[in-house]
Amino acid sequence: MALLEVKNLDVRFAVRGGDLTALRRISFSLDKGERLGLVGESGAGKSVAAFSILNLIAKPGYIAGGQILFEGKDLAAMSERELRKIRGNRIAMIFQDPMMTLNPVLTIGTQMVEAILAHRKISKKEARAIALDRLQKVQIPSPEKRLDQYPHELSGGMRQRVIIAIALLLDPEIIIADEPTTALDVTIQAEIMDLLLNLCEQENVALMLITHDLGVVSQVTQRMLVMYSGRIIEQGPTREIINDAQHPYTQGLINALPQMGEPGARLFQIPGSMPSLKNVPSGCPFHPRCNFATDQCKRAMPEYVRSGNVDVACYEVANLIEQEKRMQEAES
Amino acid sequence: MTSPLVSIRGLEKRFDLSGSFLEQLRFEGGRLRRKQEAVHAINGVNLEVQKGEALCVVGESGCGKSTVARTVMGLLSPSAGEIHYGGQRIDNLEGKAALPYRRKMQMIFQNPYASLNPRMTIQQTLEEPIRFHHPDWSPVQVRDKIHEVMHSVGIDPDWGSRFGHEFSGGQRQRIAIARALAVDPEFIVADEPISALDVSIQAQVLNLLMDAQESRGLTYLFITHDLAVVEHFGTRVAVMYLGRVCELADTKTLFAMPRHPYTQALLSAIPKLEDDRPNHIRLQGEVPTPVNLPSGCVFHGRCPYANERCRQEVPQLIATDGGAQVACHAVEEGRL
Amino acid sequence: MTTATVSRWDRFRESFFWYSFKRDKVAIASFLVLLAMVLAAVFAPWLAPADPYDLAQINIMNSELPPVGLDGADPAFPLGTDAQGRDLLSTILYGTRVSLMIGFGAVVLQAALGILFGLLAGYLGGKVDAILMRIADVQLSFSTLMVAIIVGAVFKASFGNLMFGEIAIYMLIFIIGVAEWPQIARTVRASVLAEKKKEYVDAAKVMGFGTPRIMFRHILPNTLSPIFVIATVQIANAIISEAALSFLGLGMPETQPSLGSLIKSGFDYIQSGSWWITLIPGLVLVVLVLVINLLGDWLRDVMNPRLYKG
Repeated sequence: MALLEVKNLDVRFAVRGGDLTALRRISFSLDKGERLGLVGESGAGKSVAAFSILNLIAKPGYIAGGQILFEGKDLAAMSERELRKIRGNRIAMIFQDPMMTLNPVLTIGTQMVEAILAHRKISKKEARAIALDRLQKVQIPSPEKRLDQYPHELSGGMRQRVIIAIALLLDPEIIIADEPTTALDVTIQAEIMDLLLNLCEQENVALMLITHDLGVVSQVTQRMLVMYSGRIIEQGPTREIINDAQHPYTQGLINALPQMGEPGARLFQIPGSMPSLKNVPSGCPFHPRCNFATDQCKRAMPEYVRSGNVDVACYEVANLIEQEKRMQEAES
Repeated sequence: MTSPLVSIRGLEKRFDLSGSFLEQLRFEGGRLRRKQEAVHAINGVNLEVQKGEALCVVGESGCGKSTVARTVMGLLSPSAGEIHYGGQRIDNLEGKAALPYRRKMQMIFQNPYASLNPRMTIQQTLEEPIRFHHPDWSPVQVRDKIHEVMHSVGIDPDWGSRFGHEFSGGQRQRIAIARALAVDPEFIVADEPISALDVSIQAQVLNLLMDAQESRGLTYLFITHDLAVVEHFGTRVAVMYLGRVCELADTKTLFAMPRHPYTQALLSAIPKLEDDRPNHIRLQGEVPTPVNLPSGCVFHGRCPYANERCRQEVPQLIATDGGAQVACHAVEEGRL
Repeated sequence: MTTATVSRWDRFRESFFWYSFKRDKVAIASFLVLLAMVLAAVFAPWLAPADPYDLAQINIMNSELPPVGLDGADPAFPLGTDAQGRDLLSTILYGTRVSLMIGFGAVVLQAALGILFGLLAGYLGGKVDAILMRIADVQLSFSTLMVAIIVGAVFKASFGNLMFGEIAIYMLIFIIGVAEWPQIARTVRASVLAEKKKEYVDAAKVMGFGTPRIMFRHILPNTLSPIFVIATVQIANAIISEAALSFLGLGMPETQPSLGSLIKSGFDYIQSGSWWITLIPGLVLVVLVLVINLLGDWLRDVMNPRLYKG
């Protein structure tokens, strides 16, 4: 049984004039110790997906349907009280901006001890010892000093290390990291991602990494899923997707990267932009921007087809697989 | 050797953190002392931008690249050094004397959500600069110019009566580019123009900037932290660290053969699609703050090759055999 | 996106402002009541059954008649009469007019001063900022009422009651307006400091625009949102301040009374049983201030999270 299994998750926003669907029947799973990447641009719904696992979506957002099975129990159906036992304890979360996540008027030590004591009945001294241990794990220099320092006394990279330490305090099963390095410089980003990867391997903690950076996904994750307009359009082993993306959107995303372009020549660009929640096109949401769109694409959202180890939601890909099968059959 | 379009000479910029007189007084060691602190944002930068090229300035936060951009454009005045445009010194010009340069030099900013006035329609945003610099133009000429420039950035002129917040980030950035192009500049400083945009939109806007360069013969000073963009877009690259240029080279040369240890670390830190694991040069220590600059070479605290000379003496940019200019004692001494 | 140009009226109808207004019953009710009072005040000369300040029309025999519904009432005077025989309905209509004039006048003055000084202090910074803000601080430490009392008393003593009566309304607008500019100035200054950092200001500088143009054409429109909220509350405050001053005898004269002076002039007659002379203008004042404050509350809620949206 997978550690986390999301089945047909539907998340909507209740605004005037009707409900907007942010996530439409999302399904994916996460095994123990596995590192999964959620990739997409802004508006695709990846942050919404991450937040909804712990039911942290602010009103007017709400979970409209589906299940979020953590060790067999449905998180979407749980009460606030039960969810609080899981948040920070079994499933931890890391956010993008460390300055927003840390309370500026409390010392690091106070915040860490508070987090531990919320879930464990131990003494303050023991909690402080655990906090110290985690700070050492994230390789912060002079960790004893840090416990008594305030967030503004630390640099951006160090703060993010503290955040990771806080996430590890209670030995969670899963860490959800929402764009943890987007606000950091590239050399610091490399350090942090390296640290996160090593820690997850050592402690056998599952990682759900939300990011728009394909390079980071390729370096850190084992499996990835690509989101577009609230749907997962491609899902599978990271290496396979990066090397040979099937869905036209994924291909476009990779080809648009400057590192893929010829120096001095125009970059490959996907025309148009991701539709807002109010204007989601019918059928496959990518069809207005897709070179391969046919009438079929406008009518209904494509089902997943398997190509290698990758699941893709695209009629064109489905057709190509059909053709290949027929050719193979014709040969035999 | 043709003379450069823009010349930055010995540029220094300090921001005073001291506060008022009363705030400066501290009681230290039994005596009343006056403490003055400053952020040393730029510490001696010499750069030349040749006509028609795209000079990229890269570095991480705190390196001073945005400060350089703003000083070149006259938004800040230098603490020391000079800025020259077309052979003429411009950093000391004000008011009417500066006006012709305001038209020739334009800027594109990082945040598309703050670079358009929320209370002005697109039409008004584009109209004002045109009317300001061409007071003798008829309304028809102004309107035609607005339409032309909106077309060239891919925004439908019919949308002129809408406000900024009705457009997406990528569209706003196009409008900001249109505003810069509306006065027919020669030189554009782009301060991280695509960092705030989605990846697929970044490609669109970058293409737009490249097209504009070709069709209008523009010269760019392009500030960015994204080395992949530099490799694609730039003619030459200047790598900055804590207010100094550590390496200056042709794009090809820099990426093929980075000489300065910081440049090497920076390049290795870019997450590449081919990597299976993070695969970068690890730097020791923390980034020092620009308030208390290290002595000697600003990079010595994190550099694996630092020696005594590096701790004492500031390295100058010296030409190397590869064609690059590098400010590093180890390179100069042949240790690297 | 459609290519049709969008008119201002369409934009307003689609806006969150209108949508929120339609849903908030308190706001609608307050607005309607305020509108009714303002219209009644504006059209007072046509609506009032009698001109209460035309001495020829007043008959002392009609004094202290109670409002309709009580013993001794005269239907010609629906709300009763005061001690001189003036029709209370008419005096209230004219009184509301004066109160509103002072309220709006004072706020226009304090807004003009406050916005100007706030802009200068915020944008120019340095010494200009320091000087203006110190003046503001000094001024805030004086109570408006105290200043008004002193100025009023000195003026009356020097120039006599008659002269005072003629310019009272302008003097009140001036005193209240000048006394209250610091609050608006501080708010505008805070907004300007925030806007100054935004790139559109840099873009304007880079374009070569001069300081006055940047201050008034670019930054000012973006600082006005909080001012609308403050201004509504300040109208109510100005009306109350004036009412308090009139009650103390230092406000509007008997010949041109506001709601405050009406309350004062009727105060003595509570003992003799003619409670309506004080109470009815009092009620009108309370209702007026209440609806203005309610509207101000709603306005603050509407504008708060949506400062830069449509």
